[in-house]
Amino acid sequence: MAYDPKNPMKDRITDIGPRHYKEFMPPVIKKNFGKWLYHEILEPGVLMHKAESGDEVYTVRIGASRLMSVELIRDAMKIADKHCGGYIRWTTRNNMELMVDDKSKLQPLIDDIKKNPMFPIGGTGAGVTSIIHTQGWVHCHTPAIDASGIVKSVMDELFEYFQSMKLPAQVRVAMACCLNMCGAVHCSDIAILGFHRKPPFVQHEVISKICELPLAIAACPTGAIKPATVDGHKSVSVNGERCMFCGNCYTMCPAMPLMDAEGDCVVIMMGGKISNRISAPKFSKVVIPALPSNPPRWPEVVAAVKNILEVYAKNANKYERIGEWAERIGWERVFEKCNIPFNVKTIDDYTLAYNTLRTTTQFKFT
Amino acid sequence: MAKFKTPFLDELEKGPWPSFVTDIKRQAKTKPELEDLLGQVELSYKDKETHWKHGGIVGVFGYGGGVIGRYSDMPKEFPGVAHFHTVRVNQTGGFYYSTEYLGKIMDMWERRGSGLTNMHGSTGDMVLLGTTTDQLEEIFWELTHDMQTDLGGSGGNLRTPSCCLGMSRCEYSCIDAQAICQEMTMHYQDELHRPAFPYKFKIKVSGCANDCVAAIARSDCAIIGTWKDNIRIDKSAVAAYVNGELKSNAGAHAGRDWGKFDIVKEVVNLCPTGCMSYDGKELTIDDKECTRCMHCINTMPRALRPGVDKGATLLCGAKAPILEGQRLATVIVPFVKTEGTFEEIKEVINKLLDWWMEHGKNRERIGELIGRMGMREMLKATGLPPVPQMVKEPRSNPYIFWEESEVPGGWTRDLAAFRKKHPL
Amino acid sequence: MDIEELKKKIMEWAEKSTKPKFYFKDIGKAAPELGPREIKKAVTALVQEQKLEYWSSGSTTMYGVKGKGITEEAQMGTHEE
Repeated sequence: MAYDPKNPMKDRITDIGPRHYKEFMPPVIKKNFGKWLYHEILEPGVLMHKAESGDEVYTVRIGASRLMSVELIRDAMKIADKHCGGYIRWTTRNNMELMVDDKSKLQPLIDDIKKNPMFPIGGTGAGVTSIIHTQGWVHCHTPAIDASGIVKSVMDELFEYFQSMKLPAQVRVAMACCLNMCGAVHCSDIAILGFHRKPPFVQHEVISKICELPLAIAACPTGAIKPATVDGHKSVSVNGERCMFCGNCYTMCPAMPLMDAEGDCVVIMMGGKISNRISAPKFSKVVIPALPSNPPRWPEVVAAVKNILEVYAKNANKYERIGEWAERIGWERVFEKCNIPFNVKTIDDYTLAYNTLRTTTQFKFT
Repeated sequence: MAKFKTPFLDELEKGPWPSFVTDIKRQAKTKPELEDLLGQVELSYKDKETHWKHGGIVGVFGYGGGVIGRYSDMPKEFPGVAHFHTVRVNQTGGFYYSTEYLGKIMDMWERRGSGLTNMHGSTGDMVLLGTTTDQLEEIFWELTHDMQTDLGGSGGNLRTPSCCLGMSRCEYSCIDAQAICQEMTMHYQDELHRPAFPYKFKIKVSGCANDCVAAIARSDCAIIGTWKDNIRIDKSAVAAYVNGELKSNAGAHAGRDWGKFDIVKEVVNLCPTGCMSYDGKELTIDDKECTRCMHCINTMPRALRPGVDKGATLLCGAKAPILEGQRLATVIVPFVKTEGTFEEIKEVINKLLDWWMEHGKNRERIGELIGRMGMREMLKATGLPPVPQMVKEPRSNPYIFWEESEVPGGWTRDLAAFRKKHPL
Repeated sequence: MDIEELKKKIMEWAEKSTKPKFYFKDIGKAAPELGPREIKKAVTALVQEQKLEYWSSGSTTMYGVKGKGITEEAQMGTHEE
């Protein structure tokens, strides 16, 4: 039985949803489901969870670039077949985890993982774990910057923090390649964001042939696109001053490209978090409005991220996330300590701007 | 021999972090279209601009989501990636896989796609990157018939719900996050596949306030585990932490010498509500004042555990900044028991969806609708009772929109009688 | 209103629309007295019958009359050939 293009509805199955997770849990996980007592991080990247039954499960966490080939996944599956009864899982931050149910099986598992240089062990505790990121130039139509290449460059530089646990608290780095922020950089300790700075072109002579003009006009969130006739062509005009560089028009209409090597830049944000631990979840804040986008290794971006991380590591208290540290010492002090020039563009002038202005005479001189 | 020279990408083969370039190059030996991908990405590195275009019509018949159309803007130079569509496959709860099942998907994807994936996409789906239009129905057929799985959501649909690993391997989890996620995914299959919403709607489930799936930052409806009774204390384990027998925070800070563990400094004084005290022998918690932030439990997991009267807090309306500004989800139901098929949660979600479908503008997230119309309208429509847990503080302006029915005597007045008292 | 009648109303509205693609919410204008759930049933049936088709930007989805407006070929850029 196979798909019959002449009769697409024959034996069609729909709406069955995903496979049930219980089918795919290692036996020790299934047996002790909901009955875990505590865990310990034995070494960076290696966890032990203890169950009420006395069972233990040992987990090895492997850093991964979220972009993975079938062959690389098969490499991991081979290790899972050899050591882990044929089970593997991923974490919410794109790491792989391989689990064994007895301490004696742990070292042989680690030894086999270490044979593959694509499988670094780490990403636990007070360190840096895999960067949540987006598609970039590998697969997206609106990015201002690449994603995988910047992640690779930054993680190469932060690698010691992936394999150690010497920071005051965990540091979650995220990146998104345009302001649509598929990477949810808006609540991360350190965030890297691609940004367009030039409004879209309009290719007047072809636009009405390849685009539906009303859709391109309606796509603009700020109403900056209006119908226009240019040189006898039915087309649109763009009010550049209202453009927020989101690329929605380009999504609807390939005759309105906005990427531009010169204009596209990288924004650095910091101080966000999602956990409710100690303080409430926080948004990331813009500290560097624009760095140049310099492939293949984005040295300015890598240096900026590393600088923030290391100044934080040196100055923050144990358990303090970057945002908590910044709030304790004051953002004016953060700019000073990180040696980042304060810029009018870091003062909010968007929808919720007033919330961020200082309404007290209490501040620090820097 | 590589089809294109890639001097820029080759730079990304250096360094200790796994290189996606090395990975793609290896896969390109059996999947020649990836040579064209490398060529196109190399060109992007040179041009500092993407070479992809969006394509919106492709999909599988009868579904309005799950496939994202993608085309190269240089199909002649890179014919292997002229079409390069994305297929979103609904992940399993907690991202667990057997190699048998995962292997089948990989085999299929090697045959019918590029052999490249994202494990996983930002919403949670397993993302299969790069296939042609003519393969889509075949892929869907194999996924549903041979692998008994389904596509995820995209567009103005319910997006694929996602969760942390929950009770499967976490002692903190107060709810069965995977079960809730699975049930919501199955219950809302029609909403997931056939768009009828103003915009995207995301459901995310985290087992506790550590929120590993970022529900509070990224979901229109966040379901986060919590408890109502007292934190369970193991006194002997507290003593073991104090005298250094047990490593604090499960060993998370072991890479640096932070000095001897100091329970007062590291736990009691960092408690956001100040509801803990330690007299040198015994740790006491005034549980009524606890806001369940998880810090003390994270720091001394062998001594402290969440209570036993467990359930979930429901929050609504998180989103990234575009368009009306960033929002974290805000509390709408402080506590709900999570039992059976989670009917109470579904009831809340249904009411939220009904209200949003009726009043939401095109591409307006529910958080923005609450921003535009106010909590008042949302609460009226959903019937949820207003409670102080919904706000950080009450309003600081008195500009209350009173309704006629709420004012004694209504708004209709006798002008003649008024003028008798107050002549013009 | 029975579903056949609703389907007819929706198609009449869609054929007349000056916009080649429309949001789900706009389709409601074809029968303003009905709620979104009823509209959805009819629209889903019309997609099944290949009278309407989906268009997705990835983040939002629209509906269109099958075959009307931009085609996959136009999006791919093969219009030049």
